[in-house]
Amino acid sequence: MRIGEIIETMSTGFVAESFELNRPPALGSLVVAHVPANALPVPTAMELYAVVTYGRTVGLDPSRRAVRRSTDNVFDQEIYQEHPELQRTLRTEFGASLVGFITDGLIRQHLPSQPPPLHFSVQTASVEGVRRFTDRLQYLRLLLPAQATSGHGAGGSQVSLLQVLAANVRQVYEQRGKDRAWLDTAAREIATLLKSDHEALLTVLYAIEPVDSHAPSDAGEAA
Amino acid sequence: MSRKTLGAVVDGTFSGGLTVRLNPGTSTEQLRIGNFVVVEGQRNLYFSLISDIHLKATDPRLLADPPRHTSPFIARTLAGTTTYATVEVNPMLMLVKPDDSLLAERAGVEPVRTIPMHFAKLREATELDFATVFGKEGGANFAMGTPLAMDIPICLKLDRFVERSNGIFGQSGTGKSFLARLILSGVIKTKVAVNLIFDMHDEYSFDKQTEDGHFVKGLRQIFGASKVLIYSLDEKMGRREGRNVDVTLKIGLNQIEEADIVLLSEELNLRQTAEATIGLLRDEFRDKWLLELLEMTADDLNGFCQRSGAHPASMASLQRNLKRLRRQEYVVHKATFDTLDDMVGALDRGKNVILQFGRHNSVLDYVLVSNLVTRRVRHKYEEKTRRFEETREVAEEPRPLMITIEEAHKFLNPAVARQTTFGTIAREMRKYNVTLLVIDQRPSSIDAEVMSQLGTRVSGKLTEERDIDSVLTGVGNRSALRSALASLDTRQQVLIMGHAVPMPIMMRTREYDESFYTAMGSQAAAARDRQMDIRDLFGDG
Amino acid sequence: MPLKLGPISEQVDDLAKTWVDLSLTQKDLLEQAQDCLRTVDREALRFKLQQHMRQQMRFPWLLAMPSYSSPALPTKGLSGSFPAPSLPSDFCVVGTDASCIAPDRHVSVRYYVLNVGYALLTYGSQPDAVLEASSHFCFRDEDLYVFPEELEVPIEGALLGARMEVESLRVLLEVVPDTSKPAVALRDGPLTLWTLQNESDEVQHAVLRDFLDAMAFLRQAGVPLAGYISYTGSRDVANSLRMWLCPGQPGECARCETDNHDLCLALAKIRDRDLFAFLPKGQRSELFGSSSQILERYAEHRVDFFYLNIGQEIVRVEVPRWVASNPDLLALVHAVLCDQCRRSPGFPPYPPALLEAHEQAVVTSSERRLVDEMVEQALGRHGQPIIRSGKDDSKRRRAL
Repeated sequence: MRIGEIIETMSTGFVAESFELNRPPALGSLVVAHVPANALPVPTAMELYAVVTYGRTVGLDPSRRAVRRSTDNVFDQEIYQEHPELQRTLRTEFGASLVGFITDGLIRQHLPSQPPPLHFSVQTASVEGVRRFTDRLQYLRLLLPAQATSGHGAGGSQVSLLQVLAANVRQVYEQRGKDRAWLDTAAREIATLLKSDHEALLTVLYAIEPVDSHAPSDAGEAA
Repeated sequence: MSRKTLGAVVDGTFSGGLTVRLNPGTSTEQLRIGNFVVVEGQRNLYFSLISDIHLKATDPRLLADPPRHTSPFIARTLAGTTTYATVEVNPMLMLVKPDDSLLAERAGVEPVRTIPMHFAKLREATELDFATVFGKEGGANFAMGTPLAMDIPICLKLDRFVERSNGIFGQSGTGKSFLARLILSGVIKTKVAVNLIFDMHDEYSFDKQTEDGHFVKGLRQIFGASKVLIYSLDEKMGRREGRNVDVTLKIGLNQIEEADIVLLSEELNLRQTAEATIGLLRDEFRDKWLLELLEMTADDLNGFCQRSGAHPASMASLQRNLKRLRRQEYVVHKATFDTLDDMVGALDRGKNVILQFGRHNSVLDYVLVSNLVTRRVRHKYEEKTRRFEETREVAEEPRPLMITIEEAHKFLNPAVARQTTFGTIAREMRKYNVTLLVIDQRPSSIDAEVMSQLGTRVSGKLTEERDIDSVLTGVGNRSALRSALASLDTRQQVLIMGHAVPMPIMMRTREYDESFYTAMGSQAAAARDRQMDIRDLFGDG
Repeated sequence: MPLKLGPISEQVDDLAKTWVDLSLTQKDLLEQAQDCLRTVDREALRFKLQQHMRQQMRFPWLLAMPSYSSPALPTKGLSGSFPAPSLPSDFCVVGTDASCIAPDRHVSVRYYVLNVGYALLTYGSQPDAVLEASSHFCFRDEDLYVFPEELEVPIEGALLGARMEVESLRVLLEVVPDTSKPAVALRDGPLTLWTLQNESDEVQHAVLRDFLDAMAFLRQAGVPLAGYISYTGSRDVANSLRMWLCPGQPGECARCETDNHDLCLALAKIRDRDLFAFLPKGQRSELFGSSSQILERYAEHRVDFFYLNIGQEIVRVEVPRWVASNPDLLALVHAVLCDQCRRSPGFPPYPPALLEAHEQAVVTSSERRLVDEMVEQALGRHGQPIIRSGKDDSKRRRAL
């Protein structure tokens, strides 16, 4: 299902405008840009996989700023009916970091040689696609602070890449049908990748631990 | 066959050992100091012992401030990744990997000459590994026990065991007598040597009640009267039912020598001047010095003092203390060495002899009699060996003899080690086909030179640093074994190192129970004994 | 380059001081003026105004002509106020605006760009919005001259401004939907093209033709048109009150001895937006006719106006007579303007339809430059480089 169109593109990722206002794809979810063989100077078609790193809604004209429009009687979704011009003067965009691609049936988890072409469509990755792609976890490295593209959050602040990483793990976990084995493996992989910064590691672990594992244990009793 | 990989080598030196980083799935609690493990290099297998365990973290800040609220999920994730463990591993033996890993027999193990490269895998030892290193049960390979968590027999090479003097050590309560029973049974069964056992506490001959309350069999009951002869100092013992003593031993005052007396300085409360005084007595009376001394009246004493220049007070004191000897029930005025020579003859015919002390089991009795008897036995052995060297007749070759003594530090402490027969035997190695099996709970009291001559050491738990140092005298890889010794359980766990094992090994000792008795052939022996009893009752024919 | 801010800030200070002084005295006089508005005799004033306008062909002041008496209007005074009528549940508003890239006199090639923006907003059960711009690159003779065959009267300056007004109305021909929903067309600024006042008859006629045709179209389509003037500076009604007070000839104020002398002088400075500040929020004043000369050409589209309190501001709304005289259309315009201002988040409010139309119409300076570059490159490709004047070139280079 097409959910957006690429409006900025670079080797590490892209920015896309969402087709639906106020509904960017979920933070951390996997999206796909399908590039047919003749669109890039590469021999075969590619499915580029990227992880959504931020979403934001701003005016089409960057110099115009949103103002408060709600009243006692009109608020939330009704505002959009009250001011139909908002549908035309706002846009929702999202950024995504490239984490790999599938070409010729092979999964590669590194940056592709070419960024996706401008104005090409972005789709949410299918459940099957997510499963296949996340069977291998090397792509997590591309989400680490040193390597990922800097995402623009609201007001210019960046979404912490650790939060993006955690969001991705949560998303994939759900999409894989709450695959605990995968979650445990992913957690260990992240622990290895963040071995020299345990605060960063704990930030991620706290954000991905499944809700049912909340019996707090003594820190001393490990495994 | 469990071939589970425990970790990978990340550091190490040839002299210091290897550092292995444990895999995330392996907990430190799955491993023990002293465990037998195998490092698989590219070319060689390294049979090793675990000598130390460390906990580490990839980010030291984690240790300064461990997470306070961790779910099991987080704890599991951190274990083995940001927090991990390493073990220090000391290779003991090396084996070139055969091309075909299915070969049951491998080429021989060699001493370690190199170390593996990074990331060599560490795994638990398998049955095949144990068999490769320690050999299979059978012949002179005697199963002493099993690894702590497996059911594979670990064998002691008893033929090599009796090639040297050996020691059984361990704190009190660690079951040294059980170990002795196992080894002695093995030696008797495999016939690699004959035994002369100085049984201070009457533990080895007949049934004995253990701490737990149940009874264990004696060597006599396991192997039968045809194999085990019981000598006793205590007459009364011989008359108890079912506990037939074959010979009652008497010691004559004429048999007691100066060296015996000096050995008993402490027991007899002798003064420092005793040795000198005895010397003077010997100058005058030669071999009869003791008899003479004991008969002397006050005047005789004075006269002697005047003649020899001995100090009267010393003389009096000496006489007084030595009279104690005469009071012992088993001591007679004069005795021949016939009984002892007969004993040697029995030993020569393959009989094992246990000398019981019965009621006469004070330190004085034990030290005196054991030293005296052993001196005679060694003397006979010396004769036989010389004769054999001359004639080269196979029939003349003396049977290897293993003498078992307890409280060994009494005989082998640095002060007296030079003077006792035991010290001599220990130092001579197997010159005259006689070796010792020393049993002691204070190995630090044993002379270091003697200790270094002990080929195989079987040790239960030791906690005193001095004792550990002592047991490890002259042994390589000391640091690895040190921790292993301290970590043994108080019961049924030993570390064996030395001549009779290719590499030091920690093990759970075999049970000394019915199945053991049967394995030693006790039923056949019992049958034989019954036959003998019947013949005794009814006479031959 | 260096603007001397120091001296300026002193002068800014002076301004603030004098303004404060003025407003105090003016408050009293304003109240007097409002009283006057409340008490003036409608018919008498009408008569007086008509007389004076007949006498002088070109009256110096713009005057507001009160409507005829009617039952709906108060008998005394011109201060009637009328509340906002109810809105239909579904309706459209279309706002238009235009801007341009002015022609560059310093360049050998003449062209300009007109950008007309419009915003069609639909409210009610199916809210929707269409925001578009229509851009015209104007270089042909008919774009550059009012009379292209003769190459007479170049379209520039005020005439270009008028052209923009015309275009912003013409776009409604395409945009106004033929739906059953009631619709209102809005533009920012007056419907009165008073800038054409000083042009010749021929020019006025030529320029107004399309403008009036568009208005006719809207009338045909039943879509009322309104011009919305925010922060109006008009003084039509104030001037009419001066006329009312004037005993003699207007303009001979130096010799005037009337009691209302001060009030009359004050009225010279009072603006209608202050005069009508009494209007309650959402309510409009009565309709007035404008005396602007150009309106004589408007025929049935002659423009009337009223003032409206849209909350925090009094605005002037101009409507063609066919709207003013049609109570339904007038009510729709009034209701829609109030509704638009209700939907505006600004303080004071401003109709979103006009805001968005303006946003669509705006041309940024970078877009200007882009067009200039496009033209340069296109000409260059065809071997006709642009020749700039010395002044232009020096301004671009700003060489040291």
